[in-house]
Order: sequence, then C-alpha cells, then structure tokens
Amino acid sequence: MDFPSQLLAKPDALILDLAANSREAALSGLHAMLAKCPAVKDPPRLLHGLLERAMLAPICLAPDVALPHARTDAVERIVLGVARLAAPGVGFDAEHPNVRLVFMLGTPKPQVDEYLLAVAAITRLLKAGDGRAGLLAARSEAEFRELLERGAQP
Amino acid sequence: MKVATDPATELLARLQRLLRWRLWIQEKMQLSEWQVTLLWAALAGFMGCGAALIFQALAEGVHEVLTGTSAGVVESMRQLPWWGCLLVPALGGGAAGLVLHYGQRLTRSQSSTDYMEAIAIGNGRIPVRASLVKCVAALFSIGSGGSIGREGPMVQLAAVVASLVGRWRQFTGPQLRLIVACGASAGIASAYNAPIAGSFFVAEIILGTIAMENLGPLAVSAVVAALTIRVLTSAQVMYQVPGFQLNSPWEMGPYVVLGLVVGSLAPAFLRSLRQAEQFFLSLRLPIGWRLALGGALVGAMAINVPQVCGNGYSVVVQILNGPVVWRVLLGVFACKWLATMASFGSGAPGGVFTPSLFMGASAGYLFGAAVHAVWPTGAADPGAFALVGMGAFLAAASRAPVMAIIMLFEMTLSYDIILPLMLCSVIAYYTAKGIQGSASLYSDALKRKEGETAAPMVPVGRVRELMRPNPPVLAPSARFQEIAQLFLAVRVNNLYVCDPAGGRFLGAVSLHDIKPYLADGNLAGLVLARDILREDFPRIGPSQTLSDALGLFLAHPVERLPVVDPETGGLLGSLSKNDLLLALVERRKPLSAA
Repeated sequence: MDFPSQLLAKPDALILDLAANSREAALSGLHAMLAKCPAVKDPPRLLHGLLERAMLAPICLAPDVALPHARTDAVERIVLGVARLAAPGVGFDAEHPNVRLVFMLGTPKPQVDEYLLAVAAITRLLKAGDGRAGLLAARSEAEFRELLERGAQP
Repeated sequence: MKVATDPATELLARLQRLLRWRLWIQEKMQLSEWQVTLLWAALAGFMGCGAALIFQALAEGVHEVLTGTSAGVVESMRQLPWWGCLLVPALGGGAAGLVLHYGQRLTRSQSSTDYMEAIAIGNGRIPVRASLVKCVAALFSIGSGGSIGREGPMVQLAAVVASLVGRWRQFTGPQLRLIVACGASAGIASAYNAPIAGSFFVAEIILGTIAMENLGPLAVSAVVAALTIRVLTSAQVMYQVPGFQLNSPWEMGPYVVLGLVVGSLAPAFLRSLRQAEQFFLSLRLPIGWRLALGGALVGAMAINVPQVCGNGYSVVVQILNGPVVWRVLLGVFACKWLATMASFGSGAPGGVFTPSLFMGASAGYLFGAAVHAVWPTGAADPGAFALVGMGAFLAAASRAPVMAIIMLFEMTLSYDIILPLMLCSVIAYYTAKGIQGSASLYSDALKRKEGETAAPMVPVGRVRELMRPNPPVLAPSARFQEIAQLFLAVRVNNLYVCDPAGGRFLGAVSLHDIKPYLADGNLAGLVLARDILREDFPRIGPSQTLSDALGLFLAHPVERLPVVDPETGGLLGSLSKNDLLLALVERRKPLSAA
C-alpha cells in the first residue's frame, strides 16, 4: 500500500460523533485526540498552525467536509486525525454551515511531496459523493475504518 | 446536459489547463537559456551584417564623391592626375581628423570604443556616439584611399549594434560581452564572407577560448550574417584562385622555409606599425593635420604606385591569379608597407587585417618566384606560395593559427593548398612567437588599453555582480490561481515566496511539485503558496563567491538561486546558472592573455 493510502487507512486519531458546537470546539476536540500521537511533538504549536492556516483561506472541501491542515515543525511525521461530528454539524464559515466530516492533517515542513499526496488522496475520497455519504452513514468505528480503507485504495 | 459552474472555478480550471500545456511545451519544446542565447546571437548576426553592409555602402559613396568614379580604389587612383592622387588621401585624412577632433566634444565622458576591449576586459558596453564618430572618420580615411582595411569599422559597428541589443534586453555582464562577441563575429563573417573564421577569430583572439559556451553563439551569429550577406548581395568566395597542385612531398621544403621567412617578417611589420605610430605622435600635430599628413604620404606614393591605396584586396587577387612581374611586386610590397605605416601610424581609423593579407601574399609570391628561379619544379606556381604566405603571415601577426588556416581555406575554398598552408602557418606562428613573445596584431592594443584601465571591469567573483534584481515573487497567502498565473507569465520553474511585510525570503514554490496535480481541481481550490512552499530551497548571499554559487548549483538541480541578504533575510535578486557559467568560462582566461 502506498503512503497516502496507508495514512488514510490507519489515521492517527479517529473519533465518531464528536460533540461540538463551533468550529473552534470541533478543531480543539479532534486536536486533543491527535495530540496523543507520539509523532506530535508540540501539540499547542500544531493547533496554532491549524488555526492560523484556517484563518488565511477556506479549508472546506464540500458543504459538509473540512480539511484543516498545516505544515509545521510541531510534528515529526505526517499525522492525520479524522472526526465525524454529531448531526447537524457545525458551521466553519458562511458557505459551509453544516460541516460533519473533519480531516486534520499535520505535515513536517520539508515534506511538500507527502503533503500534496495526502491532500490529493483525501480530496479524492471526500469529493466523491458516495464516499462521503458512506462515511456519514457508517454505524460503527469498524465500518468507518473499513470505508476509509476502501476509499484509500488507489 | 451542461453543468453550471461558477466563474471562479471555471477560471481556475482554465489556468490549470494552461499550466499543464505550459509544462508539456516546456518539457517537449521549450527553449533553454542556451537556446535563447543562440536566438539572440542570431539576431546579433543579422543586425551586425546589416550594419556592416551600410558601412560598406557609405564608404563606397564617400569614395565616389572624393574621386568622382565608382571604380575600385586602385583603379580610381590610376585615373586621377598626380595632384588628385596627392590631394584625395590628404583631404580624406584631414576630414577624418576633423571628425575625430570635433567628435570628441560629443563623446568626452565616454569610455573606450574598442569592441575587443569591451569583450575581453570591459563590461560589454560600447559607447554608441564615440563609435559612430570613429566610424564616420573611418569612412573618410577608407573612402579617400588610405592604406587601411575597412573590416575594422565594419566589425566595430556590428559589435555596437549587438551591444545595443544586449543593453536593451538588460543582459548581465557576461551575457552582454557574449552578445558583443557575437556582433564582432558577424562583422568578420560579413566582411570576409567567412563564417567559420569569424567565429574562430573572436573565440581564439579575443575570448582566448574555444569552449562551446562561447563558440556556439559565435558560430550561429556568423552563419546568420553570412547567409544574410549572401541573400542581400552577390557575395561569393572572396578570393577566386586557380587550382594548385602538390606534385611531390619535396615541395614541402620551400614551404617550411617560407614559414620561417614570413614568421620573421610579421613581427617586423607589427614593430614598424608601432614605430610609425610613435613617430606621428612625436610630431605633436593636431589630429586633423596628423591624419592629413598620413594621407598625403600615401597619396605621394600612389602617384607612381596606386596599388598602395585601399586595403590591398584587388592587388592580392592579381597576385593569386598571377603571373606578376616580381620586380614590380617588390616595389609595390615596399611601398604598401610604408603606406600602411603612414595610414596606421597617423591614426587613421580602420583595420590592418586585410593589409596583413596583402603583406603575406606579396611576401609569399616573391619567395615562390625566387625558389622557382633556382628550382622550377620545387615551386611550379609562385601563386600557391602567395596563398600560403597569406595564411602564414596572418597566423604570425594575429597569433591565431587555427583561425588563419580556417580563414584562408574559407576565403579561397582551395583544399589542395591545405597541407602546405597548415605546415607553413604553424611554423610562422612559432617563429613569430619566438621573436616577439605573445604580442600580436591585436594583443598589443588590448594590453595597452588594459594598462590604461584604472579598475578592471571583470567581475571580481562575487554573487552581487551577476545578480539580476526583481525576480518574480509570491506572497505566502497566494492562492493557486495566482501561482498558476505567475508561472504562466514568467518562464521560471521556481517562484520565490516572500513575506509581504518585510520582503523576507521564505522559500520557493516549485512548478514540478504541483505538476502531478494540475488535473486535480479540488486540490487547486485548497492550496496556498505557503502550503507547498519549500523552505529549504537553496539560497546565496550577495557577498558570497561565485565558487560558492557553483557549489550550490552542483548540489541542487535549479537554474536560478535567490540572492538573500544574510542579515535581514530580504530577497535582493536572483543568480542565473547561465550567467555564472559564462562568467566562469571567461575567467578561465587570465587577463594577461587578453
């Protein structure tokens, strides 16, 4: 399995039906899970990087999908956290009022190639309507992981 | 059914398509920096040829006005009464002197006009007004029959035009010097209809190297010039010669001796020109009177020996096609030598390249005639010795034997003569070198001018001297659309990203990083410059040496390096690998050899 497929199939953090009532709460909740990953050396710095990037330009891929990402020295390797928010989701911006899927990506600064590979793989998975619908409808973590793994196949 | 999309998405998709095309074109057919250099060399060749043709037409016009005939220089002098022979070169010299005198007022603050100096030790900038003044003066000295070659001003004008092109395009120092060298190469190719020799003349004599980095553009420029002159005029082989034949290997013996003779004669000729120059300067005459005196001396000789006038071309054609009465030729040879001393020594603007060919042809013919008298089968045709003598004299005087051999072959297209020509030229070269060291027809002038130059104009080997200012930059917040637009607008593979507040260099966005994703519209909508920025992109400081830069270019596959202020981190400009290589090629030649 190649690098982006592996990353998607086995995310460093996964949380389903995360309760959050704002963008910041959603990001903080997923970040708290991801911060447990040993590859995250400096969790506050990672969060700062993610929020800073989110302020610069929209990070949403679809009406219900967000991809907060940052290239930062706070991680040792590329890390991915995935969260499904409880319905009806939270508003990330005016155009994306009901985001329910959040894919959080942290990439070491020198790894431009890996960053682009990962973002391309995630966007491919989530832009496909059925891929997104399946993830939203998954009834268990195992089913969610299976869908991720299947979607990660190149 | 047509899917409705918003204009921004459509624009982004269009930009991505264009960028994919740009990459495809770049990979398949986009010109490299060297190929672009060759295109500019071709333009320099075309324009240089045009400048040379204009000068030639003007010189013929001035000659017609002064002599009242459109015949050749020697023929028209033959038709003039004795006082006309005396007056025309004197008046022409005086007029040339007046042009130089009054022209100095226009050009007082300008530096040397010499194209060789501009290429070899200068910055490639040739002053236009000063050059034009010199060329107008040359029109009078050449048009009035001075014993001087017109190829010098033709090459000068071609180099000036090339310098102007380079300055208009804001070329860096090494590029500008190369394009001026291309102009000079075009000028020589136009003057002698000899493109190979034109390239080798500049490479061997002025640049002192025949590295492909230089020779390639020089050759392109010369070929374009030669093609242009063949299309625009009826130019053919410069010297039509009868077929020569080497009947026996023993015939090489006299050619060896000819090499020794001509190799001794050339330094004497050069020395005499310098002495004449010093003599005229010692007279302390105003420049107008000095040139008029030089012209009058030529005119005085032309009363009885009209062959002394002009560059000697028509006489050389006669010698090569023989037979010539040796006693007459001996007289013409002596007078022509003196006439060239008078013209060159008085400061008449023009060249001594073609007069040198005359000296070689005459000396060769006289030697061949002498050998023929004592050993008829050893020198069956003295004309062959004239041809070989030309090449050998040129090799000895210019200290460029390769150029001399090629030029003679190109100007005559006589392959039969190539063996004695090569042998004789090499012997003459070493003989002259043994007598007079490395001094040559051209190195004398360059060496003197190098001594006069207070500060050397060659780069001292720091990055700042080759740096190009204002490279295209992106802000870290630039969206993919902006990145794509800039990549389409400028022909670079890496765009530098700077902090918009302080101009601090942050890194670079590489076209090749985003290349695999150009078909991915989703990714393009999400990516900013800072997301794909390479912070570890190599950079260099303005005070670092060119060797440091070379090391970085060897370690990283990039065509340009950002030049960054080591204290503030601000982006100052960029350094091109092409410019660096040109500078390094130039640096291989020590200044003393220029």
